[in-house]
Amino acid sequence: MGFSGNLKDFPFPDILQVIARERKNGILLVEWKDLIVAYYIKNGQIIFARPVDKITRVYTERSFPDLIKKLRVKEEVIPKILEKYLLSRLDEREGIFSLIFGFIKYKSTEKAPIPIEQLILEAARKLTPMEVKRKISDDMLTFIVTPEGKEIVKKLNLSPVEKAVIEQIDGKKTVAEIRQALYPTKPLDVDKALYGLWSAGIIKRVRRGKRHKPEGLTLDILKRIIDKVKDL
Amino acid sequence: MFNSLASGQKQKKKIKILVSGPFAAGKTQFIKTISEIEPLTTERKTSAKNEKSVKNSTTVAMDFGKITIDDEHELYLFGTPGQSRFDFMWDILGKGALGIIILVDSTNPQTFHEARQIINFFESRYPVPMVVGANKQDLPDAWPPEMIKSALNLDAEDIPVVPVVATDKDSVKKALLTLLEEIYKEFG
Repeated sequence: MGFSGNLKDFPFPDILQVIARERKNGILLVEWKDLIVAYYIKNGQIIFARPVDKITRVYTERSFPDLIKKLRVKEEVIPKILEKYLLSRLDEREGIFSLIFGFIKYKSTEKAPIPIEQLILEAARKLTPMEVKRKISDDMLTFIVTPEGKEIVKKLNLSPVEKAVIEQIDGKKTVAEIRQALYPTKPLDVDKALYGLWSAGIIKRVRRGKRHKPEGLTLDILKRIIDKVKDL
Repeated sequence: MFNSLASGQKQKKKIKILVSGPFAAGKTQFIKTISEIEPLTTERKTSAKNEKSVKNSTTVAMDFGKITIDDEHELYLFGTPGQSRFDFMWDILGKGALGIIILVDSTNPQTFHEARQIINFFESRYPVPMVVGANKQDLPDAWPPEMIKSALNLDAEDIPVVPVVATDKDSVKKALLTLLEEIYKEFG
C-alpha cells in the first residue's frame, strides 16, 4: 500500500517520523524537481538511497542484497551516498513523495549508517518558521522526555540547542518558558529543537492539568447517551 | 457542561460535544449524518483561492445538530469552522464541551498539521477527552488511521484515531461511541 504527499505540505521530519514509528520495511520514493530517488527502509531506518531514471525500475528489484550486488556498492560508501541524496536535500521543498511499505526483502545484516532519529533532527533544523509553527503551534505546550528517549539520545549527535532544550524538559515548563529560559532572542531555534525531539520520539507532549470528571454529568446520564447513540 | 434550554414548557439540559478539524475535513457532513434535525449551519462562500478549489462554501461560525436523549436531556453536536483564522470560535465553542471529535481528511496530509494545531489548542485550554476521526476512508488514497496516528504524534498519547466515513451513519456512530467511551473512562 502506498501513501503519497507533497514535501511543501508534509516535509521530511514528518515523513521520517512516520517511517520511524511504523518500524517497517519499504521504499520512500521522492520525485525531486531534478531527479527521482528511492530511499530503502529497513525496520524504520533508512539504509540506502539510489537515484533512478524510471520509477518502475524500483519495483522490479525486490531483493536488496541482489540490488547492492548488482550496483557494486561497498558498505563504506553508503554514508556518503545518504549525505548526497538525503542530507543535502533536506531543505528542498519541491517534490512529491510516496511511501510504500512491504515489498522489499532484506538480509538480517544490513545496518543503518545514520540513525533515523538523527536524520529527523537534521531535517528539523532545516524547517522554515511557518513549518515549525504547524507543530509547535501553542506556547502552552508542555513535554516530558520519553523512557526510550533517554536511550535514543545516547546514539545521537545533538546540537547545543537540542541538548539545552532537553535539560529544560520537565513536564511543567511550557514552550514559552523554555524559550525564555534559554534563547529569548532565538525562539525559532528552540522551536526547531522541540519539533525535532518530538518527531524523533525523544520527548512527548503531556497534558498540563488532569482531565476533570465532567461537571454535572452523572454516569447514569452518560449511559443513557451511549444507549441512545447505539440505537440511532 | 449543562445549559438549560427552553423547549415548550420543559427545560431540557443541553450536553455539548464539539466536532472540530481542518478545512474540508467533513465536519458539517459528520453532524448532518447523525443529527435528528437538519443541522443549522453558518456557511458562506469560500473566499481564499486555494479553498475554492476544494469546496464552494465553508462554515464561518458553527454548525449544530441535535440528538434527543430523553425528556430531560439533549446532546448537541457543535461543528467549528476549520480555518485557523476563525480560531476565536474554537475558544468560544470549547467552553463546557464534554468531549471533542477532531476530523482529518485522510487523503490530504496537509490537514494533519492543522489537526495537530487544533489538538494542541484544545489540550492546552480544555483538556477533555478527544478522538481523532480519520475521515474519507472510503477513498482509495486515504492514509490508514494507524499512520495518521504516527503522523500526528499521537502514538504516545491517549487520543484514539478511528476510521470514519462521514457520509455513513454507522461509521459516525462508531466515532461518537468511541468518544463517549473515552468520557466514560474519566469516571473510572
